[in-house]
Amino acid sequence: MAKKDIEAALARGVELLDKFLPLKSWLFFPVLYAACVWAVRRVFDYRERILAWQVWLDPDFVRTKPDEFILDFFAGDERLRREYADEMARGDLRVLRAAFPALYSVMGLEDAFLKALFKAELDAADYRAIVVEFAARTARARDAIGPAAADPAFWGILERIGREAASLGVHLLKDDEVQDMIVALIKGPAGLGPSIPPEA
Amino acid sequence: MSIRRLGAFVLVLFVALSTSCLTHLSRAKQSYAEGQDAARAFKTERAVASWKKALDEAVRECRRRPSAQSFTIKGLAEANLGRWREAEGSFLTAFSLGFDEGESWASDSALAGLAASFENLDLEAPALRIYAQLVDKSDFKPALMLAAEKRTNLILARAAGLDADEKDRTLAALSKALDRLLDRDFACGLYHYLHAQVDGHLGDIRRAYEEAVMARELGLPSEKIGRDNDNELVYCYIRLIDSLPPPERDALTAAQARWAAKWGWRDDRTPAWKKE
Repeated sequence: MAKKDIEAALARGVELLDKFLPLKSWLFFPVLYAACVWAVRRVFDYRERILAWQVWLDPDFVRTKPDEFILDFFAGDERLRREYADEMARGDLRVLRAAFPALYSVMGLEDAFLKALFKAELDAADYRAIVVEFAARTARARDAIGPAAADPAFWGILERIGREAASLGVHLLKDDEVQDMIVALIKGPAGLGPSIPPEA
Repeated sequence: MSIRRLGAFVLVLFVALSTSCLTHLSRAKQSYAEGQDAARAFKTERAVASWKKALDEAVRECRRRPSAQSFTIKGLAEANLGRWREAEGSFLTAFSLGFDEGESWASDSALAGLAASFENLDLEAPALRIYAQLVDKSDFKPALMLAAEKRTNLILARAAGLDADEKDRTLAALSKALDRLLDRDFACGLYHYLHAQVDGHLGDIRRAYEEAVMARELGLPSEKIGRDNDNELVYCYIRLIDSLPPPERDALTAAQARWAAKWGWRDDRTPAWKKE
């Protein structure tokens, strides 16, 4: 298995899928990753599984953390400590608790798909934009795959990419390695200018 | 001669069909076991793929040669996929074919499905009652684990809105319920994880740390829960270090360093999966 060959196969996949998922490059992540997983397993309902991809959903436990844990999360991350210095200084738990589910899922649990989805904001250190955009963008990512999925050619291409990756030995790589590879191919979502309300 | 040939043909056909039937059941079992292995290794998607494959094979086996075993595997795969209604039907059929526990597993699957439906409709009170009943009485592990996790999260969410005394009472009762679950199955990592969450709310940081360590050692049902457990463990460890007198602090630091080396962490407070 040559890691570079798999990388090249996935890069070709991004190129081919580009016409189905225009300006929605973050969608490449779940689609390509699912293609790699399902092609190796040779599962019958390949399409259903890819459409049911829900890796970005935040688990229930994120919303039930105690105040001390939330404060520690913001205080323990230098970037967030700087960004939310005022709220932390005045002990404004209302704002911190509201921001926590989005920021903890992206930065605390380091979900690979969410990091790809919010790459532009992470690169720009615009953490409040992640909070504002979190619910809408994750919902859009879930829904936006619909039109592409209606085209049989989309599935043909996806299956081909999955098979090629499988034949090159993608299953021998760790999940993290495959995810990192795909994230590296993603250039960052376009046209996602968030508007930030003052309370974010 | 022709009778001999016919006999041989029938024999070959019988063997071929038997082998084919056995293959579906053994494939179903193999895929189900692979799913369990993948789930333990936090490969959630691969686990779901394997359970789905196990289900497909079990369905074929159930059609060709219905048996208590094939319907039990079918029900287990359905339960792991969260298809509680279908699981109920499979376990009932398994019961009618001689699997004694099928009836109670069917009943627990039906309750788990009902509670999930209530929760999806934002009807938390009836969902909570059903989860509590499953936690107290169920012996069917997939339903029991689901109920324990859901019930803990629902109660923790509710406790946030209570006054201090009532919150302490509620959390103490929840902690006791989790103790009872651990008495029944101490090797279940999820129960230790849930206990650590409740201990964190109660301010019992030492117990929360110990439970999080045990949860990590025993394994957790998803990567996200595993990562959250690591974060909880590090949070408790740092707070404990700050609060302990020097001799105890040194002992804890040495113990944590050993755990971290065993888990392949970068240092005593940085899990391997942390990239930043």
